[in-house]
Amino acid sequence: MNAFSRFDGMRRHAMTVGVVLLALILFSGVIVLVCAPPASAQTLPFGAGRAVPTTGIAGWVFAKQAIFYRTLSGEIRAAKSDGSALWALMGIAFVYGVFHAAGPGHGKAVISSYLLANDETWRRGVALSFASALVQSLTAILIVGIAAALLGATAKMMGDAVRAIEIVSYGLIVVVGARLLSAKGSGFVRAAEALSARRGGALGDAGNHHAVEPASGAHQHQNHGASSCCGHQHSRPPVDRHHDHAHDHGCNHSYGHDHDHTHHDDHELDVMPWGHAHGPEPQELAGPEGWKRGLSAIVAVGLRPCSGAIILLVFALSQGLFWAGAVSTLVMGLGTAVTVAAIATFAVSAKAFVRRFATDEISYGSVVVRGLELGAAGLVLAFGLLLLAGYMASERLVGF
Amino acid sequence: MTGLTLSSNLSGRALRWRNLGAACWLGLMTTPALAHPHVWVTMTEELIFSEDGALAAVRHTWTFDETFSAFATQGLSGKTKGRFTREELRPLAQTNVESLKEYRYFTYARVDGKKQKDAFGDPIDYWLDYDPEKTELTLHLTLPLKKPLIARQLLIEVYDPEFFVDFGLAERNPVKLVGASPQCSLATEKPHDANFPPALNQLFTTSEANIGMGMNFANKISVQCP
Repeated sequence: MNAFSRFDGMRRHAMTVGVVLLALILFSGVIVLVCAPPASAQTLPFGAGRAVPTTGIAGWVFAKQAIFYRTLSGEIRAAKSDGSALWALMGIAFVYGVFHAAGPGHGKAVISSYLLANDETWRRGVALSFASALVQSLTAILIVGIAAALLGATAKMMGDAVRAIEIVSYGLIVVVGARLLSAKGSGFVRAAEALSARRGGALGDAGNHHAVEPASGAHQHQNHGASSCCGHQHSRPPVDRHHDHAHDHGCNHSYGHDHDHTHHDDHELDVMPWGHAHGPEPQELAGPEGWKRGLSAIVAVGLRPCSGAIILLVFALSQGLFWAGAVSTLVMGLGTAVTVAAIATFAVSAKAFVRRFATDEISYGSVVVRGLELGAAGLVLAFGLLLLAGYMASERLVGF
Repeated sequence: MTGLTLSSNLSGRALRWRNLGAACWLGLMTTPALAHPHVWVTMTEELIFSEDGALAAVRHTWTFDETFSAFATQGLSGKTKGRFTREELRPLAQTNVESLKEYRYFTYARVDGKKQKDAFGDPIDYWLDYDPEKTELTLHLTLPLKKPLIARQLLIEVYDPEFFVDFGLAERNPVKLVGASPQCSLATEKPHDANFPPALNQLFTTSEANIGMGMNFANKISVQCP
């Protein structure tokens, strides 16, 4: 298989998705222009200069989301008497979501790092983004729906619930990060060893695709998640010119050596920075196993609900329009997913670009790619720890 | 809290690096600084002076926006539907004040340009009112100064460094001086208020609210006495 044509294809797909997402964001921009003038007149009763924007794009995003957030409660109130306000509510909820995802607490950084470390496809990145946004919307709706609407909980109780969920969520990010880091650490070490082994000339063999301990000519496949029927320990001839890395999942090897290379669930441990093991095939993604792989990340990132969603849902409840709040929370989630997916797709494309320089699986390029993955895994762990320790605050729920 | 509170003693150069670092951090990770407010507070303030001309206390009157008021009163039941008495709101007021302590009551003081660390004590009185017409909660609290402040130039700032709460001075008569010498003059600056005296503006460029945030959202109340 030609790795290059494969990745060119992938990049083309990634670009298509990028363009679609960009179009969606532009579309949101149009809605901004259409909705903003009445919205700002309506929701800044104290005149300009109350919500203070910064300069530049960040300031613009910042100012817009603050305005949209304030507009949302006005639209919920309006919807009580005027059904057509519901459409405005949904439209603004979507755009607010798009902008709001630029703020903290939507897992852009965690999802992007996770994708980079795990060598995932853009397709999975988009799926992860939408799934975690859905989880996030649902937790907000469930908390307010159960705690406030059914049990009559106070704001303080909901705040405590969110704090507990937050700790679980950050703990999960730590676990996901630690798992990635240990896997990626060994991947990096093996890529580096392979490179130094080749440079040392111990095995001047371009056809050898494995990290080999030159002295013994034997190597051990460690950490392969699924146990194999043949065992991992195997030896082989010192020079293995014909090993073409066609992985055989069974035990009947046609090679002179006994080589079992059981396919690993997570693709985390393969030495090669490119090739069949990377970027799972579409059928893998569609299967239940594919979802299981991303589930921990989806839950870790999506569990912590958005403070704004909770406050708005309670407000909608107080107006007797909980369902309108719930639907707009879901629409809001759709908006955040668009932004997070765009960022995730960008991250994956950037890595695909870097990977072009990994011309050979035993090269500096591949060590760089492995290092990148290791760094991304470290970032996931760091995010989790910082969030857990409170150094990197997500969103506050109660200041009062 | 964020690292912002740790930075008050940095030199100019260190500050520039900090700003740069914060900008990069912002761009890459979108820290809490990019969180937009979820609570809006309209405030009127009273500065209470003792007989010797020292600032003895700051009395806050903070009115919350309708959405947050609905959130805060969720699950509370008043005797009359849609109304809450001061007594019924007492537990909530206590919760508010307890959580506010962690945020230093969002109130900061400077004397002749110098930041006063930990200047305020715990509130001496506090209560909540609910306006059933506007469906808005108002928190009243009086913060005493641990040591009364005597100064030619006094600056009180109210802001949330994380900007979860957007404080804004009320449109009309937002600040009252109580018991101050008649020669004292009062100036207020809302965020991005170009009308503030330029000489004073100089002082505020180092305001904590502006460090690394690229924003200027502190409400400043300045009193100058001869």
